[in-house]
Amino acid sequence: MKNKRFAIVLDTRRCIDCKACTVACKAENNVPLGRDNHRNWVTEEPLRGSYPNLGQSFTPGQCMQCGNTPCERVCPTRATGVNQDGIVTVEEKKCIGCKYCMTACPYNARYYNEEIEAVDKCTFCAHRVYSGRLPACVETCPTKVRVFGDLNDPQSEVSKLLAKNPHRVLKPEMGTKPYLFYLI
Amino acid sequence: MSSLIDKKVSRRRFLGISSCALATAAVGSQVTVLRALAKDGKVGEPATLPTRDVFTSCEMCVNKCGVIARVRDGVIQKLDPNPHYIKSRDMLCARGNAGHQSVYDPDRLKYPLIRTGERGEGKWRRASWDEALDLVVKNMNRIAEQHTRAGMMFVSTEGFQEHFFLMLAECFGSPNTLRHPSLCLASNIQGFGATFGTNPTPDVLNADYIIMSGANRSEAFITPDTIDLIKGAGGNRKVVYLDPRFTKTSAKADEWFPVKPGTDMAFMLAMIHVIVKEELYDKQFVADECVGFEQLVPHIEPYTPEWAAAECEIPAADIARIAREFAAAAPKAVYYQGRRSSFFDNDTQMRRAMAILNAIVGNWDVPGGMVPNGKIKLAEHVYVAPWYDDVPPRLDKDCVTYLSEKDGSWKHFRDRVLEGQPYPVKGMMVYKQNPLQSVPNRAKTLKMLEQMDFICTIDIAMSDTAWYSDVVLPEATYLERMDPVESLSGILPVLSLRHQVVEPLFEARPNLWIMQQIAKRLGEEVYESFDYTIEEYVEHQLQHLPEAQTMLETRGVYFESERPTYGSSRGKRLKTKSGKIEIYSEKYAENGHDPLPVYASPAAVPAGKYRLIVGRHAYFTHGTTQNNPFLHDLMPENTLWLNAGEAARLGLRDGRMVRVKSAVGEQTLRLEATEKIRPDCVYMAHGFGVLSKGLSRIHGKGGCDAELLEDNACPISGNVAMHQTFVEISPA
Repeated sequence: MKNKRFAIVLDTRRCIDCKACTVACKAENNVPLGRDNHRNWVTEEPLRGSYPNLGQSFTPGQCMQCGNTPCERVCPTRATGVNQDGIVTVEEKKCIGCKYCMTACPYNARYYNEEIEAVDKCTFCAHRVYSGRLPACVETCPTKVRVFGDLNDPQSEVSKLLAKNPHRVLKPEMGTKPYLFYLI
Repeated sequence: MSSLIDKKVSRRRFLGISSCALATAAVGSQVTVLRALAKDGKVGEPATLPTRDVFTSCEMCVNKCGVIARVRDGVIQKLDPNPHYIKSRDMLCARGNAGHQSVYDPDRLKYPLIRTGERGEGKWRRASWDEALDLVVKNMNRIAEQHTRAGMMFVSTEGFQEHFFLMLAECFGSPNTLRHPSLCLASNIQGFGATFGTNPTPDVLNADYIIMSGANRSEAFITPDTIDLIKGAGGNRKVVYLDPRFTKTSAKADEWFPVKPGTDMAFMLAMIHVIVKEELYDKQFVADECVGFEQLVPHIEPYTPEWAAAECEIPAADIARIAREFAAAAPKAVYYQGRRSSFFDNDTQMRRAMAILNAIVGNWDVPGGMVPNGKIKLAEHVYVAPWYDDVPPRLDKDCVTYLSEKDGSWKHFRDRVLEGQPYPVKGMMVYKQNPLQSVPNRAKTLKMLEQMDFICTIDIAMSDTAWYSDVVLPEATYLERMDPVESLSGILPVLSLRHQVVEPLFEARPNLWIMQQIAKRLGEEVYESFDYTIEEYVEHQLQHLPEAQTMLETRGVYFESERPTYGSSRGKRLKTKSGKIEIYSEKYAENGHDPLPVYASPAAVPAGKYRLIVGRHAYFTHGTTQNNPFLHDLMPENTLWLNAGEAARLGLRDGRMVRVKSAVGEQTLRLEATEKIRPDCVYMAHGFGVLSKGLSRIHGKGGCDAELLEDNACPISGNVAMHQTFVEISPA
């Protein structure tokens, strides 16, 4: 079977910072409580302007499932890898908790999970995806900010969205080739 | 009159099934309790392969969104949105996703409790259900003997099992039920009802132009409105938003105006002025469907945009422009009425102005306009309540012009309890409601509770009101019980069913079971109305809708059409006196109220003080979800928003503790200096500053708005006015 290249396209203009994605992810993936523990988050960008001429936007974030993975390069035990469909993985048993990968990640997408004693992060809900369902954050999003799909399939929603709309990635200067695309 | 089911058959079946079900519950719950406790705070595996999926509907707020509960080994792993559920458009918010935490929360109520110390002292002992229920009924009967049956009041709020509670009140024989609408949208229903004969729903999905006054839809979720509002973003849709705060709705609106609180009506009247003067209204529609337009014309003469600009601090040119844009977009244009507590004591008249503005542009019962709600009919459960002599009428009868018979008016009811007039009310049954957090002027509510001889609260957690009760009964959470089918009205009406997902933990029981047990103790005549199982009740509700039964089983929701029907009310008689849309209300004139909305300026903010405003949150539902572990994680306390310029002027730094003092109370909380609020207002999120130590995460955190708010109310609807309180701020 042909490999996939999973990606998420985000229309942040739709994001109302309701944190449904964050809570869905915590519930789905047993992320321990505590705001430093996150696989998925929404950043409230700084207010623009001053009263009463104000503007604000919200940026959802998670592991960018980079094509060029700094986390993988620094991992001394090869706990971090990339699967056949582009999902960046962490093997719990191999992880020694040295946190190099957390330092290497420019997106602060990883956290140390005290309870499993390993580094943890977004996996695109691989367990759901491989049983034919959407990642929890994508499915639950009230305003459907996120679209998940296979970029290797030109007919997929993600491919079409990227073909039609201008978009950007976060911190392109880091050269990480993220697979989360933000529509402009 | 047909009864719900044949009594004799049902009695036998009821007894048979219930003893059986209880046996299973006892065994099942021991196991699940252990699992739940073992699970507490610990990480398990991801919910890869649930063993069972159950359709249910959410109860974390009032929206009743469709949910699929993923269960493995008897434990709820995850709640996911139900893709078939057209009302909630295949989504679940943060609260919905945190729902199963209310089941496995160590803070939940587990057993019946009887108070052993002083009220509010927090000393309890665990009691058996029998002992607790015997005590409840003993007190109900004693109060009925001493003070008539009206001496017991029944306090509740909406929910799928509230019906049984209200039935108990009726069968017990008390007229004193007190629900939530006078803390919520009573004035809205009254104002729109007086105009249209009904409170219609704005067709947000199809509207091209939407104006919102304080309806903070990005944070105060209403499904499907919140979602539909965003669907138009970037397209033809235009959203104009008025709010003293820069909310997440402001961030998404095309235009935001930090309106001066209490002046929205000036903005609306000026819009009407422009639309009438420039003849931009729908002449044919007004001629055919409305009455009283000729009285409106001279009435709005003084309400020019220039006049309004001075009142509401929105430039006159913008008001006139918005009026023109609104009329041009009509009939696919709505002034969205919101669904929140009233701001000021003239709230009903403000809603009238809003309704009239909607009416004159002809947005009635068309795509993108105001659409009268459809509803799917269920078979009604007919019961005969026993008749008792010498029970006086409602305690708050005639306190306001249009009092809703079952809902009452909290402010007036509480005042009369405190006065002991016209008769004493000495006993209180509470279901789900938490007046200590939700009714303005908490000190008064506490006084009211103090003078009660007996208080019993049924809830899933130790709310402040439960904390001040004599007996606390643990209800099963929404995921642990089957509920009656609920018919949800709207542009696309649906039937919703709450299937039981797991067995109740500990000794929690569904409200129907609790009501049945109380009814049994009250006597055969009362119990007759409760003699059935929930399954029988549901079957009866759906007896004329076999297709609904199937669809509720296979898709967790029932609807008759996926497309709305428009125009069915056009040319038909509406439920107003004239049968038409009433711009001028004869009914109001007869009762001594302004037949057309007359504007009065709100009281000015006194020097050195700030107006306290309230608002909703996407993470919390009123005062109920702040202690939920997942949601508490998002926001562990509330803060006092103060404009950054004002904070600098007062020498108060962001993050420091401040004392907030009003005429009725005082609270201490953390200051948040922000640009996101008018300089003359302060804001705090609702639901913190709790008194109950049974809510361990939030006890002692933040401040309580109900403590500070003064209890003013609208004389037409009895709805409390939440924005008429001024506060002083000083360093704590």
